[in-house]
Amino acid sequence: MSFRRKLLAVFALTVFLSVAAVALLVLAVTRNAFEKAEDQRTAALVTQFQREFSRRGDDVARRVAAIAASEPVGRMANTLHGTSADSAEYFDLARQMAEGYQLDFLEFLDGHGTIISSAQWPAKFGYPDTGFESLSASSGPSAFLKREELQDSTALGLFAVRATRIGEHPVYVVGGRQLDKNFLTGLDLPADTRVLLYQNRSDHFSADSLLDPSASGNGAGVARPADKFAHLIEAVQQYNQEMSGIVSWSSDQSDDEVFHAIPLRGMGKDRPLLAILLVGNSRRSYVELKRRIRASALLAGGSGIILAILLSSWVAARVTRPVVQLARAAQDVAAGNWDTRVEVSGGDEVGQLADSFNRMTAELLAQRERLVQTERVAAWRELARRLAHELKNPLFPLQLTVENLMRARTQSPEQFDEVFRESSSTLLAEISNLKAIIGRFSEFSKMPHPQLQPVQMNEILRGIVKLYQAQLQAPGRAPIACKLELDENLGAIAADPDLLHRALSNLVLNAMDAMPNGGTLTLRTRHDNGKMILEVADTGSGLTPEECERIFTPYYTSKQHGTGLGLAIVQSVVSDHGGRISVHSEPGRGTTFAIELPDNTDTLQKTRA
Amino acid sequence: MRLFDWRSLAVSSLMVWALTAGAETRPQYGGVLHIAMRAAPASLDPADGAQPDSFARRSLTMLIYDTLVTTDENLRVQPSLATSWQASQDNQRWEFRMRRGVKFHDGTPLTAEIAAASLRAANPSWSVSANAESLVVERASADPELLAELALPRNAIAKRNPQSAPSGTGAFHVVDWQPGTKLSLAAEENNWRGRPFLDAIEIEMGRSFRDQMTALELGKADLVEVAPDQTHRASQEGRRIGNSRPVELVVLVFARDVASSDEKLLREALAWSVERTSMRNVLLQGAGQPAASILPNWMSGYGFVFPTDADLPRARHAREQVRAIPIWTIGYDGNDPVARLLAERIALNAKDAGLSLQPTASAAAADLRVVRIPLASLNPSIALADVARLAGATAGKESGSVEDLYASEQAILATQRMIPLFHLPVSYAASATLRNWSLRSDGRRDLAGAWLEVGKPTISKP
Repeated sequence: MSFRRKLLAVFALTVFLSVAAVALLVLAVTRNAFEKAEDQRTAALVTQFQREFSRRGDDVARRVAAIAASEPVGRMANTLHGTSADSAEYFDLARQMAEGYQLDFLEFLDGHGTIISSAQWPAKFGYPDTGFESLSASSGPSAFLKREELQDSTALGLFAVRATRIGEHPVYVVGGRQLDKNFLTGLDLPADTRVLLYQNRSDHFSADSLLDPSASGNGAGVARPADKFAHLIEAVQQYNQEMSGIVSWSSDQSDDEVFHAIPLRGMGKDRPLLAILLVGNSRRSYVELKRRIRASALLAGGSGIILAILLSSWVAARVTRPVVQLARAAQDVAAGNWDTRVEVSGGDEVGQLADSFNRMTAELLAQRERLVQTERVAAWRELARRLAHELKNPLFPLQLTVENLMRARTQSPEQFDEVFRESSSTLLAEISNLKAIIGRFSEFSKMPHPQLQPVQMNEILRGIVKLYQAQLQAPGRAPIACKLELDENLGAIAADPDLLHRALSNLVLNAMDAMPNGGTLTLRTRHDNGKMILEVADTGSGLTPEECERIFTPYYTSKQHGTGLGLAIVQSVVSDHGGRISVHSEPGRGTTFAIELPDNTDTLQKTRA
Repeated sequence: MRLFDWRSLAVSSLMVWALTAGAETRPQYGGVLHIAMRAAPASLDPADGAQPDSFARRSLTMLIYDTLVTTDENLRVQPSLATSWQASQDNQRWEFRMRRGVKFHDGTPLTAEIAAASLRAANPSWSVSANAESLVVERASADPELLAELALPRNAIAKRNPQSAPSGTGAFHVVDWQPGTKLSLAAEENNWRGRPFLDAIEIEMGRSFRDQMTALELGKADLVEVAPDQTHRASQEGRRIGNSRPVELVVLVFARDVASSDEKLLREALAWSVERTSMRNVLLQGAGQPAASILPNWMSGYGFVFPTDADLPRARHAREQVRAIPIWTIGYDGNDPVARLLAERIALNAKDAGLSLQPTASAAAADLRVVRIPLASLNPSIALADVARLAGATAGKESGSVEDLYASEQAILATQRMIPLFHLPVSYAASATLRNWSLRSDGRRDLAGAWLEVGKPTISKP
């Protein structure tokens, strides 16, 4: 990935994360604000319901008080006067008065708690009322919650108790209204609010105990199974305190409702949990508002991200342009174009980097020039030294011969002729030697350009072995065994056979010189990754690492009478063929020269074309 | 044990209750009598066994139809459509001489053939035939109670027409009949007994006790039924109330026979748990008599032998011998508030004994029901047999002695198909303008001599 793309990605990611963080923050703040408002609304609804509940209780208490103060009840109390023995004629009074005062429950009890008359369960006359002790103690002004046992079920009611006393014998009036669907439906509640009642008959949730006045109206809408309340109900049963929870009716959150569960307790010391009131409030408006905010945030965030990408792209382009130029310039330098320059724009870090790059290339160029000059001087010096050395050797015999001639003319004229002949032959020999030296230098300077043609390298090697076979086994010297390890599958390459023959001959001669005590000369060919590898190995005394480093330097030689041009010529030939030569040697174990030549068939075809 | 003296009982008891406050006033012809009743029969056919039996229906039948013979308050058989009769030595063959000159409301003369057809329809098992002007009934075995049987309203003689309601020979004929709702009757001018004082009778059916009392208070009805628990109050409020003897049996009837020894114990426990006295005092407001026997004591003479007090320890003991307690449903007539209260109270009593009863208004599917059974006849044998038939129990064949009657009733009760609860009287309330009407001992109203004081509207005669 390019630096520009990386920079773009970093910019885009940064902007995206920033926008996302801001959007999330806005959503979180909004949600908290709305939930707080929702809680306040629910609390207001619960308070309103509790006021309504209290108002209903007061209403029940007023009705019960009116019944207790009514003439029929007074007459009954006066008649009974503490005993229910003659109470048969009042058996139906509770039903009549309950109808008149619109109460669902009404019972008259004597001072012992025996039922004189019951509207809700008329047949229970004469039986003791359950919980009479707590009832008689609850004849205060306020209403209370009570579970009433009926013929075939139990019902929850809002009750009040009043006592009518004639003398020492009270008659208790216990009246109430049932907390049923009608009661819940009749409550004055705000819109989107509904009230359900769970009658707590056991420790576990039972769907049958849930009174839902709106249940019949849900046929065409979302199904609202009562089991959804199980978690909330059981939590209230467990912790016995008000709790809130969200009830999800479908996958659509707008169908959710927040329910505030209010435990309704009965009277008595234990204050048993008789029912749980569920005040529900639809979350539709809240969810829709939240969705709108989220959509707006997503829209703003998305737009911001796109804008950020465009901006980042532009900024990254501006920032990375000098860096790209620097990279290209560095690549040019690496390719050898050392005089590469980059445009310096501005004085920032990138500008300083570009300036430093320019100065670096300028310095590198200057150093290379200096190095070339130094190497050139060194080469000239080496050449001068070699020339001086090469020319000095023949010149000294020449000087001695001429001086001998001159001394013989002056001191021994009689022997001058003989000396002259001998000196002339010596002079000619030395002059011939000088010519040979000059010829070799001339020949090195006149290395021809390879004339490429298809060449079977194995054939060339076999020809060289055949040429030097006699010398390898020459009498008077230790024999050298020659071993050919040729890859017979080797194909032809494009090369100059004469130059290769000459180079390889030099290597064979060097190997023979390296094995004065005999040994094994090995010639190998093989193919490696599209290139031909040719090796010439001896088992001679080997070379030191220093000798290996300098062995291809022109005019360097480790031999007594070498010119130091043999391996230089070999390297020149290999180099002219586009190949590479290397040496591997260990002192005492021999030396191996490896020549790596390219196929060059493409070059040959181009040349012919 | 000797046969209970019917006649002394009948004479000593108040069998005729006549509201003759205006005895010094001469009877007046004319007027429309408005009656309300709780029963709502869908048919006027006296032999229609599918219609629930009630005293009101019996009274209604006897306004339109006549029987071959009647019985008076002393159970003496009196001629009616049959002027005389003769039984064979073995009481298997009975021959009745038909009254001459009697015509049905549609003008058809009464004949022995029509009467025989009527009786055959009412009693398919009987062999009834006409012999000139006589009607012959032949039974497979001796039937000394045949005359009392023939006096029952269900054996009234009706001429059944395919296209219309049956026609009778009674004092009133049908003018308008809306089954189960309303019946309009008009006086039969040429009735063989003579024209009744009343011009017409309008009968509203299917009215609750409360509605009937309201109609009476508003002057929309002249004669209404009174619920047993309201009789005392109505009397206190100055109503003109007429009560019969306790001739209605309130009984718990099980839907099936005892199936196991456990069930037998449970039914026994239930019978011992019922507090009849408190129910009578409170729910029935003192009306009727607690009963553990089928026949009331005044009818059988041995009713007191059957204990009516609850024995809760004994009930619990019986119940504790049973390991698995089923939940029984106790049904009642949803239109009968007293029956509902009784059922609920019995369920409470049963709960005290450890039983489980669930009251339900759907009596048809209940395990046991609170049933009101109007005793069919003042004749104890007929009444006992009729109750046994209605309760699904088998009545023994008694010879007519009180010992046999007692043994038969014991046998019926031993089947545990029923638990008697109360014997209730039949009560009516009448307006001040209704005169000279009477309430028979068997619970039927007798309006043959009733008349209305001046001021009542009349209807045009058909």
